[in-house]
Amino acid sequence: MKIITDFILNVGKMDRRWIFLIIALVVLLPLFFPIGLPIRPTDSTQTAYDAMDELAPGSKVLVSFEYGPSTKPEIHPMTYAVLRHLFKKEQKVYITCLWPDGQFMAEEAIDDIAIGEFNLNYGEDYVLLGFRPGNEAVVKGIVSNMRKLYSTDARGTLTDAIPMMNGVNKLADFDFIFTASAGYPGTVEWVQYGADPTGVPMSTGVTSIQVNEVMPYVQSGQVKGILAGMPGAAEYEALIGVPGIGTSGMDAQSIAHLVIVLFIVFGNVAYFIERQRQKKY
Amino acid sequence: MTFGTILGAWIAVFLTLAIFSYLYKDNPFYKVAEHVFVGVSAGYWASMFFWTQIQPNLFGRLWPASEYSADSFWYKIYDGLHVITSSVFPAGGIDKGHDMHLIYLLPFALGIMMLLSVSSKLSWFARWGIAYTVGMAAGLRAYGFLNSNVIGQIKGSAVQFVDGDMPFFALIGNSYFNNIVILVGTIAGLAYFYFSKEHKGTFGKLSKVGIYFLMISFGASFGFAVMGRISLLIGRFVDLIDYSKAQYNHATIWVLLIMIIVLGYGAFKDKGKGAKVSG
Repeated sequence: MKIITDFILNVGKMDRRWIFLIIALVVLLPLFFPIGLPIRPTDSTQTAYDAMDELAPGSKVLVSFEYGPSTKPEIHPMTYAVLRHLFKKEQKVYITCLWPDGQFMAEEAIDDIAIGEFNLNYGEDYVLLGFRPGNEAVVKGIVSNMRKLYSTDARGTLTDAIPMMNGVNKLADFDFIFTASAGYPGTVEWVQYGADPTGVPMSTGVTSIQVNEVMPYVQSGQVKGILAGMPGAAEYEALIGVPGIGTSGMDAQSIAHLVIVLFIVFGNVAYFIERQRQKKY
Repeated sequence: MTFGTILGAWIAVFLTLAIFSYLYKDNPFYKVAEHVFVGVSAGYWASMFFWTQIQPNLFGRLWPASEYSADSFWYKIYDGLHVITSSVFPAGGIDKGHDMHLIYLLPFALGIMMLLSVSSKLSWFARWGIAYTVGMAAGLRAYGFLNSNVIGQIKGSAVQFVDGDMPFFALIGNSYFNNIVILVGTIAGLAYFYFSKEHKGTFGKLSKVGIYFLMISFGASFGFAVMGRISLLIGRFVDLIDYSKAQYNHATIWVLLIMIIVLGYGAFKDKGKGAKVSG
């Protein structure tokens, strides 16, 4: 018994750089040798999927990109999956960005999905309205008169000359909102200044760290479902039947979580053993 | 593959590994990556703000092409600005689909006042701009919070307790058990943040229940934070694996090798110095 407790105490005193190395290895190995652990959609992902799946073809969907390269691994897979779903159902997609680097992300997603996979026409099937600074004031602007805010799209074309902008003047003209958000401004601002005042249904995909903040809106029905981080993206990919970046990262994610749980258990056991010994002497 | 793409991959690999190198210890690679990040972010944000808002939506409304007249005094000022910088002020006015709105001179003036904060003598001008921003943001946020967070959440937590069709227990959705948890959690959580009464007796016990609910919430937040960080790590590793392929001239392998050699040499030299000092 003493050998085991001494071992646990020694592990507790281990240089933290060994822990970094172990985490790096448990994340790397499943990327080289995938196991294919099953992915089951959670209730919140299913709700988001159903909300978008039930839209009539040709519905106007506003997709807002509120993330950048720093949170790309979490959010990008879900925007890919959602765009695939929307384009497959022949929806009209209007893209806005509350973050300046969101425009980069949107352009990449358009190149890969709208052009690369669906060969769609700009201005008829989708439009990139782009970034406008102002945080929640931009959402307010879209609610009251978006043509005033977006006189041109991200490419400098006058919005009056874009066919799919006909009859689109304010947020209430849309059938659905989907926000891909990594923080402020993002989902919370869209709920407060966009969806709640206009009654336009909305759903969201957020970084894991934001889930607790946004979940109350989901529970109260103000937001129709939520895609929570990379697992949310993997679940959405499973629902549309197109495995992507989210799915490929789930093995590494699951095993890394298991190892972190083991570290936490080890740390706690070491703490209690040490406290017990201090009491003894 | 173009030279630019390969160069971009090498830079991405260097910056990623330079940031990761901080896990070993603070070092010059990390410092370089940190400074590059700050500089590039500031430059990118400034240029993005200017070209998506100030030029089209501010200058575009002050000097729109639709109302250009070379004889008017207002557009003579514009023509003067055009001589200084033709990319910001193109010939014949700015064509961004706006009409002329001289009221925008007001935010233009407030913006200039905010920039005056760099001068110690004129910095007091900045208070006007800041006062406007604070007032506007406070009003805007108060409305949003009242509508969505107060009214919306009160509606959301007003759960049913009399429904013949509702099951006693369900993992997800409406059930007597879940609704009791919401009711107790909400009241106990609010009780914990009520400071006008001492937390003793029954009220103390209720606020303690509130602490347990808060702890569960913090635990969930921690779990989600770990999940997020691991996802980001996976994202970087996926890119690094991609860039280690022959089409990128094995960027990851070469950069990693060079960094290990340089950091190893640095550690070896530092060890030597340490021995001399202690000796």
